[in-house]
Amino acid sequence: MPAISVKLVAAESLYKRDVFRSPDPFAVLTIDGYQTKSTSAAKKTLNPYWNETFKFDEVNENSILTVQVFDQKKFKKKDQGFLGVVNVRIGDVVGHLDEDTTGGARAREETITRDLKRSNDGMAVSGRLIVVLSKQRSSAARSSTRSSAETSGASSSSGGLAVPAGPSGNDNVAALSANSGGSNSTGQRNASRTQSHSRSQSGAHTPRATAASVEHTLQNSAANALSTRQYSSFEDQYGRLPPGWERRTDNFGRTYYVDHNTRTTKWKRPTLDQTEAERSGQLNANTELQRRQHRGRTLPTTSNDSSSVTVQTGPGSQTPAVNGSAAAAFAATGSTTSGLGELPSGWEQRFTPEGRAYFVDHNTRTTTWVDPRRQQYIRTYGPTNTTIQQQPVSQLGPLPSGWEMRLTNTARVYFVDHNTKTTTWDDPRLPSSLDQNVPQYKRDFRRKVIYFRSQPALRILPGQCHIKVRRKNIFEDAYQEIMRQTPEDLKKRLMIKFDGEEGLDYGGVSREFFFLLSHEMFNPFYCLFEYSAHDNYTIQINPNSGVNPEHLNYFKFIGRVVGLGVFHRRFLDAFFVGALYKMMLRKKVVLQDMEGVDAEVHNSLKWILENSIDGILDLTFSADDESFGEIHTIDLKPNGRNIEVIDENKKEYVELFSQWKIVDRVKEQFRAFMDGFNELIPEDLVTVFDERELELLIGGIAEIDVEDWKKHTDYRGYQESDEVIKWFWRCIGSWDNEQRARLLQFTTGTSRIPVNGFKDLQGSDGPRRFTIEKAGEIKHLPKSHTCFNRVDLPPYDDFESLDKKLTLAVEETIGFGQE
Amino acid sequence: MSLKRITKELNDLGRDPPTSCSAGPVGDDVYHWQASIMGPPDSPYAGGVFFLSIHFPTDYPFKPPKIAFTTKIYHPNINANGNICLDILKDQWSPALTISKVLLSICSLLTDANPDDPLVPEIAHIYKTDRAKYEAQAREWTKKYAV
Repeated sequence: MPAISVKLVAAESLYKRDVFRSPDPFAVLTIDGYQTKSTSAAKKTLNPYWNETFKFDEVNENSILTVQVFDQKKFKKKDQGFLGVVNVRIGDVVGHLDEDTTGGARAREETITRDLKRSNDGMAVSGRLIVVLSKQRSSAARSSTRSSAETSGASSSSGGLAVPAGPSGNDNVAALSANSGGSNSTGQRNASRTQSHSRSQSGAHTPRATAASVEHTLQNSAANALSTRQYSSFEDQYGRLPPGWERRTDNFGRTYYVDHNTRTTKWKRPTLDQTEAERSGQLNANTELQRRQHRGRTLPTTSNDSSSVTVQTGPGSQTPAVNGSAAAAFAATGSTTSGLGELPSGWEQRFTPEGRAYFVDHNTRTTTWVDPRRQQYIRTYGPTNTTIQQQPVSQLGPLPSGWEMRLTNTARVYFVDHNTKTTTWDDPRLPSSLDQNVPQYKRDFRRKVIYFRSQPALRILPGQCHIKVRRKNIFEDAYQEIMRQTPEDLKKRLMIKFDGEEGLDYGGVSREFFFLLSHEMFNPFYCLFEYSAHDNYTIQINPNSGVNPEHLNYFKFIGRVVGLGVFHRRFLDAFFVGALYKMMLRKKVVLQDMEGVDAEVHNSLKWILENSIDGILDLTFSADDESFGEIHTIDLKPNGRNIEVIDENKKEYVELFSQWKIVDRVKEQFRAFMDGFNELIPEDLVTVFDERELELLIGGIAEIDVEDWKKHTDYRGYQESDEVIKWFWRCIGSWDNEQRARLLQFTTGTSRIPVNGFKDLQGSDGPRRFTIEKAGEIKHLPKSHTCFNRVDLPPYDDFESLDKKLTLAVEETIGFGQE
Repeated sequence: MSLKRITKELNDLGRDPPTSCSAGPVGDDVYHWQASIMGPPDSPYAGGVFFLSIHFPTDYPFKPPKIAFTTKIYHPNINANGNICLDILKDQWSPALTISKVLLSICSLLTDANPDDPLVPEIAHIYKTDRAKYEAQAREWTKKYAV
């Protein structure tokens, strides 16, 4: 293949990122993502002059030359030193490489000047790059190709099984050659290879001895190995994928592409041809979609703003059926106080200086906001619906301090907790038996949220907490702003301001802030978090985050932000693996949690528990950990690498291995994260929730589009027209978003839905649609396989039992019951 | 864990090499092997020698090795990139499987393709509707790329 030479002449008018000093720019040149060369660094200049020439082999006209410019002083800080990038398709500049260069005298030279482009993180860049490209003469090209094939380690030796390193490897090849009856001395083979270094030449020898044909195969496979060599997942034979894209293979071996910018997947290979504008347009559209989804998130009982108006517009719509009979009774009696008749004896109505009515009970010498004439209905329709008890309100007692009862414009009663500025349909004084039609878990979560919010440690302190950030620089700015304040300051009313934008923070601005910030700080590009092996949207702490020497400070910051979101009732647009929520609750991580982290390892560990391993697996109480290509052996217990794992102790091994893989590898990072989190949310308060509730508390409950869900569901053993399936969707249709989110957690391991809806749902091995399989007996509960986003639904006899069993399965199986 | 296991497999392969296949590390990296499979005599791949690359993950044998053909082959379950659609390399992997067993499974996949779960639907279609054409094509590719 031809070679080209690239002379990087200079760059001009680079972006000045610092006020007081100029960068030390150097450039990194890459062809198709694998031949990498770099220039020396120019000192303190915005107009560096390098004039360095590099030669690249194995280039064709479709090859992409990427030149990135960095500031050497800041290169180590993630993305800090980035000064711009230029991508050039070789063929566009020097034309067809196979064309004969005239006379072979001098290679044709092309000088190009290109504007530096920003990468997808959006940091501003400016300036131009001057590059000279020229084709190498074809003869020169050939010789250089050969020499590179001989010297460039991996690629040539991967084709050359002929010279394996290990003695047994030699034996095997010997066996192969002996089989063919030819010579098998390595020396001869090497000689013959040198002789026939081009495929066509060696092809001429084929009919001869079989040894030669083996030789030829080696040649072929060497050539093949070059073309199908191990590309990193960010490139392929057509060159580098656009920034932010990754290539993956699904369980059928089909290649698909993950766009980390938008967190979507596609079958079609993305191209660099897409213009900057198109790409950023697409990105914006996607962000807008995510933003809308994020805004739609809610929690039961809470309204996002403290004003009562939202009760009807916000959560009101999602908690319509939750109330007990009490509210219904109110609705029936009419909406205004004037129609309620006289006050009970001993009661008096008074007004505050602001003109609000309150009621004095002279019998008990107490006051309340609640009109006793309404109050008695609550008593009337107590748990026993049959007798009407005319009990004075005093027996129920006043509302807790700071609570108030109000009516919506549709005459439904709701309660305002002024301590926490939350609203709820539930009377805080009544036993939970009142809403017995509501599933237990739901009741619990709502009550837990109310309890949680009402704790003194979660009250907003007087004063304001100002945070000002630049939209483009939100991660670094937020880090500075949030880390310089004390936890007490952060508990004051949040006032977020985006630099250069008008607008007071009445909720919307801080929602946007948490939305944008969560996209940045959890972005795997920063190496602080990584996607789980399960899918590409649940995230976990990256065990190799230490590549950033400041990482523990960042984890503390991220912990603070998560706490800040919970404290100020803003949702993050991020979803962790289930195990991380458990760790936050100080719960022990078990084998089952491995499923969401790495399904393959989970299956193997399960296999170990279910099968005899004596004499089959040579395991010791140790594990191999890889960091940056180096493999270390870690003892799972003292001297573990010398202790055999046998059937008697394998249970302990599986426990220790899971613990190590999920917890121990990220211990420091997690501790820093929790330090930050607990500065805002005390540890003993958050433990009222379980891990799934904690996910909802941090991320909120999304609007779930049942039609979209239904449209992208697969069936195994069922047809869409089956009665059971119709009942299933009828059941889901009747549920509210929280219940739907719970079913998703049950089936897929997370309540998150991909931005583009259910069609993009990911399983442990690539795209996996939501699947309902006919399995199990009708007296059993449905089961789930979160690796495959699958629910096993027994063919129940009627809608009622399906509804009941499904509700129960989702409600009861926290932490167990799945496979 | 993985290093010890891979070394053991290598020794076992040396001591008791399976018929018609071979495997061994490429260079110094024990985690990267190359293997070869002789086309089974009763298949259209007879006479060909097919090369495969093997990458062991750090978590091996808890995770399956990544195996791909580096020699082009015409087969309904093997695509142009050399990816192999074989259940034991995906969700049916078990830590008790070894490279030797996997290579034998691939050999038998060459004899008995599985056109009902194809990776290359076009080849599977020809396999099912015109077996002679499939065999001729497979032989031709074998001659062209693997002999």
